[in-house]
Amino acid sequence: MFSNRDRGAKDFSEEIDAHLQLEADELEAGGLSRAEAERRARAAFGSRTVARERFSLRHRSEVFENMKRDIRYGLRMMARNPAVTLVAVLTLACGIAASATVFTWIDAVLLQPLGGVADPGGLVTLETVTSNGEMITSSYPDYIDFRDHLKLFDGITVTRPAIFSVGQEAHAERVWGELVSGNFFAVLGARPEAGRLFLPAEYGDAPGGYPVAVISDRYWRSHFSADPSVVGKTLRINQHELTVVGVAAPAFRGSMPAAYFDLWVPYMQQPVLNGVPQWMLRDRHNRNMLGIARLKQGVTVEQARLELKTLADRMAVLNADVSRGMSATIIPLWKSPQGPQSLLLGPLRILAAICILVLMIVCANVANLLLARATAREKEFSARLALGATRLRIMRQMLTECLLLTGAGALIGVASAPFLGRSLRYLLPPGPLSQLISMDTRPNVAVLAFTAGVCVVCALAAGLLPALHVSRIALSTTLNAGGRSGAAGRPHNRIRSMLVASEVALAMVTLVGAGLFARGFQQSMHIDPGFDPDHVLVNQFYLSTNGYTVFQRAEFCRRLAERMLSAPAVTDVAYSDGVPLNFEPSWWEELTIEGYTPQPDENMNLYRNVVSPGYLPLMHIPIVDGRNFTEQDNENGPNVMIVNQAFARRYFAGRNPIGHAVHGWGRWFRIVGVAKDSKYHYLSETTPPYFYVSFRQLYRADMNLAFYVRTRGEPLGILSALRAQTREIDPNVTVFDAAPLKEYIGASLYPQKVAASLMAIMSALALLLAAVGLYSTMAYSVAQRTQEIGVRMALGARPGRVLVMVVRQGLTLTAFGMAVGIGLAWVLARMAASISATNSAMGATQKVLQGNATDPLIYAAAIVFLGAVAALAAYFPARRAARVEPMEALRTE
Amino acid sequence: MPTRKEENDRIALLQGTLDLLILRVLLFGACHGQGISKAILQQSDEVFFVDHGSLYLALQRLEDGGMISAKWGVSENNRKARFYSLTAKGRAQLTQKTSQWNRLKKAMESILSPAGEEA
Repeated sequence: MFSNRDRGAKDFSEEIDAHLQLEADELEAGGLSRAEAERRARAAFGSRTVARERFSLRHRSEVFENMKRDIRYGLRMMARNPAVTLVAVLTLACGIAASATVFTWIDAVLLQPLGGVADPGGLVTLETVTSNGEMITSSYPDYIDFRDHLKLFDGITVTRPAIFSVGQEAHAERVWGELVSGNFFAVLGARPEAGRLFLPAEYGDAPGGYPVAVISDRYWRSHFSADPSVVGKTLRINQHELTVVGVAAPAFRGSMPAAYFDLWVPYMQQPVLNGVPQWMLRDRHNRNMLGIARLKQGVTVEQARLELKTLADRMAVLNADVSRGMSATIIPLWKSPQGPQSLLLGPLRILAAICILVLMIVCANVANLLLARATAREKEFSARLALGATRLRIMRQMLTECLLLTGAGALIGVASAPFLGRSLRYLLPPGPLSQLISMDTRPNVAVLAFTAGVCVVCALAAGLLPALHVSRIALSTTLNAGGRSGAAGRPHNRIRSMLVASEVALAMVTLVGAGLFARGFQQSMHIDPGFDPDHVLVNQFYLSTNGYTVFQRAEFCRRLAERMLSAPAVTDVAYSDGVPLNFEPSWWEELTIEGYTPQPDENMNLYRNVVSPGYLPLMHIPIVDGRNFTEQDNENGPNVMIVNQAFARRYFAGRNPIGHAVHGWGRWFRIVGVAKDSKYHYLSETTPPYFYVSFRQLYRADMNLAFYVRTRGEPLGILSALRAQTREIDPNVTVFDAAPLKEYIGASLYPQKVAASLMAIMSALALLLAAVGLYSTMAYSVAQRTQEIGVRMALGARPGRVLVMVVRQGLTLTAFGMAVGIGLAWVLARMAASISATNSAMGATQKVLQGNATDPLIYAAAIVFLGAVAALAAYFPARRAARVEPMEALRTE
Repeated sequence: MPTRKEENDRIALLQGTLDLLILRVLLFGACHGQGISKAILQQSDEVFFVDHGSLYLALQRLEDGGMISAKWGVSENNRKARFYSLTAKGRAQLTQKTSQWNRLKKAMESILSPAGEEA
């Protein structure tokens, strides 16, 4: 017979039938007719359908069954209206994809910045603090003091990003890596994938004593095909052999958020690798290391910060010659002003706000669509209500359909997020830095959870109004009413109008935002940089990786300059340490100025550039007083300095600075000239005091080297000549990434450029959505009022009047939305104006939104533009209304 | 014909007590669903009128639990019907549940009776 579990519904049905027969038999025996007996038996039994249902559902939960039914029904409804479904899903996909992408970036930069480390919550950034509160990098001797004397920390490590040349001379490859203190991997808690990481034997401070290196997983796979025998092999780094002792785990990418380093070398190898003299490593004044620290278990950030500050204050007194007034502090990893996260923080915040705006617009649009569908399905819902469905059930149905839509959108969004995520590269300036930036854009658990959350929130936001509307359907009116009275539609129309008005308001906000950012960007483009960047080619040389000493580097530059000057179409040649308006922070030096006593809290670290004599003439920066550097300002001559006008104003207050002495780098310099002010870090900065020193007198081994060539024609035309001449002097030196100087300037404007472009894209999307929403609302309203329009026209109204009437209705709606939008935009613009994208930790910040946040011209332009689009969106339904045939209209139901 | 008490006089059956009643009825021999329902009605002096949906669900539950076994057979007047009979497990369950019920009954009585006397 049947087994218990497999007892089918048919068997049960038969049993019920048998029961009824038996019951009828008994009743018949009691004296009733057969028909009456059977009727009473059936009545006594109750609902057979219910019994059958309960039987077949006895193993399942009712909730689950209802959900499955809702989903199946919802899918059928979606398939029946492909247009609506497609539009809704696509717009949701746009909004959710954007949000997921931005969240991926935020996750990679802020929330989980370092991969492959143990307990990232215990890591903090360690910063040295100048006398006026600026946060700067630390020096190695300071690090040694911190490491040896702090008790509340589990470990402190310092790092410095550097470019290495790996491989044989002719085939050398440029690799980004970090010079790290020996305990780097231990403090971070990283694990090796093969071999080992740095051991305590390598924690010491003996220069040149640790010829070892660790490579990254990415480098291991691309260069060694993941061959485990790489452990113990040597790599030729900067023309020196280092032993590879291990490979880092795949998740470990270094100590900088959003960056991927390929090589880690002990900092103490610097003298060997870069020709940096040993005394520089011991120079407390040489502050160029980024610090990371791990707190001991159970120690709070406040306690640790206090201990650090106490120690730093003591050190400031002990080393008063270089550290007077300095202190130290710890901050969360993502707050560090050095590294990519400082560049990305401002733009990411703006992006997040934009995403929220877009999501709101998308939800309003979907709600509008669903409301329209709900109206068309009113009869269906009324029938279900009449058959006994509860209102809650109907609401659940609507919400389930909405969830299906957002779910589909979320799937598309999550699938496209990795591709969109790679576009973060375009947020960053061109140059070597963009090769370093890399983040894992595959969705991880956090991103998936976030997307799911967004999906549910959107479903609720978009589905609540239609669900509420549907649940308030009055049974009799809808089942009986036609379109004649239109009374059933009135509150419904109000809701739809409000939705469209809100879409218009949000579109207004994005339009104003786009206008403000675009105008700010444009204004910045027109700021005079104070020098002439056109027709100049600039190239960064990394001669340290070729083993050049300082003297050799100076010689190289001199010879190359000579050769390039004799090349055709070249007018000027120069070389320097830093490039103006380059995105890397410029270096500074602490100065003592004869005749000027600094305030107690004053920061005497000033920005400078180490330049050749040809630099100022090449840049077309005029000397307003005194003279320029000459070839005589070399190692044998007296130390000289040129200052800018801001320097003269600040420290000499009207007196002539020429001839005064200034102390820095342990020597005395004499000011021989004053140069005109120009822009050094940002186009929008207030000019800081700045000075120049002569290349031959001050160039040190740890400085960069930028080479400039000014030509009469296009800068890239001279590139081949530069390459050829370089090769002739030394075939092992390559010209890696020469670029026109004008590109560097563009790079310094990237936050504004990015913000302007993103706002423009978003506002276009918002405008489109608002227009579509407006159009559909108007079209629907016209369709509803067809009879009314027919009556009007039959009574003598001209088509023109009807057109005007409909358009006016549309514009009224738009005007209301615009008013709200302007208010919102005003508030938000003021908030956005306070967001800055800061690069250098020395207070050289710049706001992402330049210019006046309340410029009336932008608002007026936005109103006009939005009004035009709205008028157009209302025009087409209006035209259709005007073309209505009165007799046709009166006949429609 | 079966009379039905008014709705308010019907005492709601606690879950699980229906199982006990079914097992008890089946103690005296195999029976089909309609017969069980009639037996419960008669033996309770027409107090318990079992909702048939619940009855058949309970029968299925007991069958799934192995307390009773079922077989299609023929009734007295040659009607096809599904007959249920107690298994050994069911018998043991009946004994256990009956003693539980008696304990419950005694406890309820001891709490309720003194108050009843005073009233």
